[in-house]
Amino acid sequence: MNCSELRDHYELYALGLAEEPERDEIHAHLGRGCEVCMSETKRAREMVALLGGSAAPAAPSPKLRRRILASVGVEHRGFGWTPLFAGSTALLLAAAVYFGGREADFSRQVERLTDQSRAQIIELTRLNEAFALMNGADTTVTSFGEKKPVPKGKLFYNPAKGALLIASNLPPAPAGKAYELWLIPKAKGANPVPAGMFQSQSDGTVMRLMPGPIDANTTAAIAVTMEVEAGVAAPTPPILIVAPLAPALQ
Amino acid sequence: MFLLPILLAFRSTEADAALIVRLQRREPQALAELYDRYGRIAYSLILRVVRDAGIAEDLVQETFLRVWNRVQAFDAQKGAIGPWLLAVARNRAIDYIRSTGGRERNTVEFEETDHPSLYTDMESGILASDKARVVKAALEKLSPNQRQVIELAYFEGLSQTEMAARMGQPLGTVKTWVRAALKVLRDELGAQAVSA
Repeated sequence: MNCSELRDHYELYALGLAEEPERDEIHAHLGRGCEVCMSETKRAREMVALLGGSAAPAAPSPKLRRRILASVGVEHRGFGWTPLFAGSTALLLAAAVYFGGREADFSRQVERLTDQSRAQIIELTRLNEAFALMNGADTTVTSFGEKKPVPKGKLFYNPAKGALLIASNLPPAPAGKAYELWLIPKAKGANPVPAGMFQSQSDGTVMRLMPGPIDANTTAAIAVTMEVEAGVAAPTPPILIVAPLAPALQ
Repeated sequence: MFLLPILLAFRSTEADAALIVRLQRREPQALAELYDRYGRIAYSLILRVVRDAGIAEDLVQETFLRVWNRVQAFDAQKGAIGPWLLAVARNRAIDYIRSTGGRERNTVEFEETDHPSLYTDMESGILASDKARVVKAALEKLSPNQRQVIELAYFEGLSQTEMAARMGQPLGTVKTWVRAALKVLRDELGAQAVSA
């Protein structure tokens, strides 16, 4: 195919929607440095990149910046597995750089291993945080939803470390929707406080950590509702989960 | 006044070039600046795809580490790190929902679009905040069906066949909506991207 025959397919290609044979044709044109296809694909990629800006603005937690910097050795976290795995990652990366010039396939393999190692670090970090909360001396457990068909689970609460919600029978929210956590104040007339959005797994389970201190003197319970995915300021009925905070035993 | 976006875009390009050089020198502080510049937009995009704040943060971390580890392949004078980072972020997120949904991963496409050399000579200012308004206006010109197919493709990584199944519509109808939507976006956004 020549470039004019591919004219209507550059945006589809950039968006990942191009089909055969046009996809292979554009790929081949790019591979041999075709100037028309390079220019048109760049234009199409710019257009697709603009779509990324249409997502509703949201802010990550301040901890995320520290986590990212810690993972490249900028800031040291407390004792844990992360330094060990960061060291392993650094070694793997060094190996990738060393072998990269000589053996491209091997380099890609090392990179995949590095990605896996990184994913394990992330998962371990999450599990470490969850287990630290569950094993905390001040942690209490309450059950919810036991007498109802859906959803049910447990809430682990630690005044200093936060709360861990483990639930089942919570089917994934439909497109455009997500679950929102709420801190329900004890004070009469006080408004519930949004505590983050989440999505359940395809099997209806969820393990959601809410890190940071939560005061049981002012907060009565953790609640969950289904909302639009950008989140809302006040919960929309029905309330799917209400899990009371059990104060720590003295 | 109308020159302001152009000046901002120019400053962004200049600043990005210097930042890329520092990332290539493995200056950790450069990674912090990269995060400060693009962390929110990457998080917003990933959250839109996975709809779980905790998973979104994990994927943002993966995105920045991937950029950190691949930045050597970037041409600092020609590269646009913002659009590249956003492409990596989108790929990480779609890869995640594909894997959890039991859908096949489009490995070739993802590895290809992850490559920094594809983002040479692209305008860094393409992600400037003033563009959000233009994108919103362009999307509002689409019919609901046209908008849905673009969102399913961009935010969920669905193929046209998968969209037809999801929407319960014939494949030909979906293809017609996609092409019509892309024409509108090309007219509305194409000129913006080129003239940024």
